[in-house]
Amino acid sequence: MTAAVQTREGALILDSHKLSYHYDRVQAWEAGERIAPVSVDMALTRACGAMCSFCYAMMQESQARSSIKTTHALNLLDDFATIGVRSVSLVSDGESTLSKAYVPFIQHAAELGIDVGNATNAWEWEPEKIEQVLPHLTWVRFTVAAGRPESYAKIMYKGPEHTKVFDRAMRHIKYAVDLKKRLGLSVTLGIQMVLMPEFKDEIIPFAQLGVDLGVDYAVIKHCSDDEQHTLGIDYGKYEELYELLTQAEAMSNEQTKVIVKWSKIRDGDKPPYKRFYGPAFLLQISGSGLVAPSGMFFNARHSKLHIGNYTEERFIDIWKSDRYWRAMNYLASPAFDAQTMMGTLPIQHYVSVALDRHAKGIERIQPGKGPKPLHVNFL
Amino acid sequence: MINLGHAYADTPSPGPEWRQLSDAGRRTRVIDALQAGAAALNGAVVIAAAKEDGQIIVNLVEPQPAGKRGQLLLDLEAFLKEAIDPGLSVWLEALGDRNSLRNLRGIEVKA
Repeated sequence: MTAAVQTREGALILDSHKLSYHYDRVQAWEAGERIAPVSVDMALTRACGAMCSFCYAMMQESQARSSIKTTHALNLLDDFATIGVRSVSLVSDGESTLSKAYVPFIQHAAELGIDVGNATNAWEWEPEKIEQVLPHLTWVRFTVAAGRPESYAKIMYKGPEHTKVFDRAMRHIKYAVDLKKRLGLSVTLGIQMVLMPEFKDEIIPFAQLGVDLGVDYAVIKHCSDDEQHTLGIDYGKYEELYELLTQAEAMSNEQTKVIVKWSKIRDGDKPPYKRFYGPAFLLQISGSGLVAPSGMFFNARHSKLHIGNYTEERFIDIWKSDRYWRAMNYLASPAFDAQTMMGTLPIQHYVSVALDRHAKGIERIQPGKGPKPLHVNFL
Repeated sequence: MINLGHAYADTPSPGPEWRQLSDAGRRTRVIDALQAGAAALNGAVVIAAAKEDGQIIVNLVEPQPAGKRGQLLLDLEAFLKEAIDPGLSVWLEALGDRNSLRNLRGIEVKA
């Protein structure tokens, strides 16, 4: 897997995992203990004002959508702190900035010592909200589908004429970049392009936009698809883009690193693992409140892996239940085939590759040495 | 306790007896097995399809909370693997996106 990228603020790992720095959890897992996830990826709502053509949330409708109240969200954090969750990323299947719980959630996590990261389109992430949350965030990753306003609006909204959404996002991103500098914050700010092969003409403009904005990084990643190929991603076409992607990386400068998630792009649609060990370390929770091992299983189709809903019962009780571990064990059993029974390239991909190699004895995970990388608690 | 001993194991596929049945024959085979050996499970689901590749597609008779439907469906799958063929797997019918804005894209979740 790709090594860390050196930034002005430290080593940034976006195309690999950080399990070595949570070796205690790996040892406990291997010894058969019921471990707490190191990290939880979640959303505070399923709602979103964008309509990105690459959005995996289109394939993540579960059953009923529960409304997540602020009390639910804060209780969830208390439970995370009790069991030892070390970070939360607000990404998953909804635009969390739209939730009333968004600001109090981030502030409460900071009080509890839980690191929080956030992916957002930044459309409703206005200066007042930015000022309330930015000092408490470890990273913010802005979804920027393309480097040109018309393309951005076409991919993320109703059509190329709706460039106001691009303007709005850029205004808010610039505000955050300036605020970070003004207050000397440690938060990492990045933009992300989810690359479908047909977006190839946007690769260079996207990298240039990252440089122009002065964000810390601009990352380009693959697009996930479900096991039924609903989005119709042709993974064979990514190879044609390698030269452009290499050119984009070469646009990196001292301030802004352009990063390509080569490992995932090269792994394509068939993972090297059959069992799916990652969710025990990196759990996902839907903006519907649904707790399932991975976002790959949010859709009703995968209901056998639905464990509970934290708006109906406390998360700590779900985590302690036999059904939680029955689902995790199912994914580690021959009944589950990660190569055919779930979508491509899940958020737990890097972790699952490493744990699979560890379990097979091909490459044992070793304790982390030396300075910790940035965002060490986000696997 | 997580069993790490299955990292290399292949997931079983349905055997020839299952594959040789017709669509209707496979569905009848599942319904008969449930009626004979799992009355509680039989009353909770409707069998929508029983595919040659071993996928059993079901619907829930009544909506179930997340904390119950997972257990119900895993119990169902374990029963069918034992009673009919270890290559069977249980799935609920897929749901499409309820986000009206994203639905303007016209993307339908494939079953």
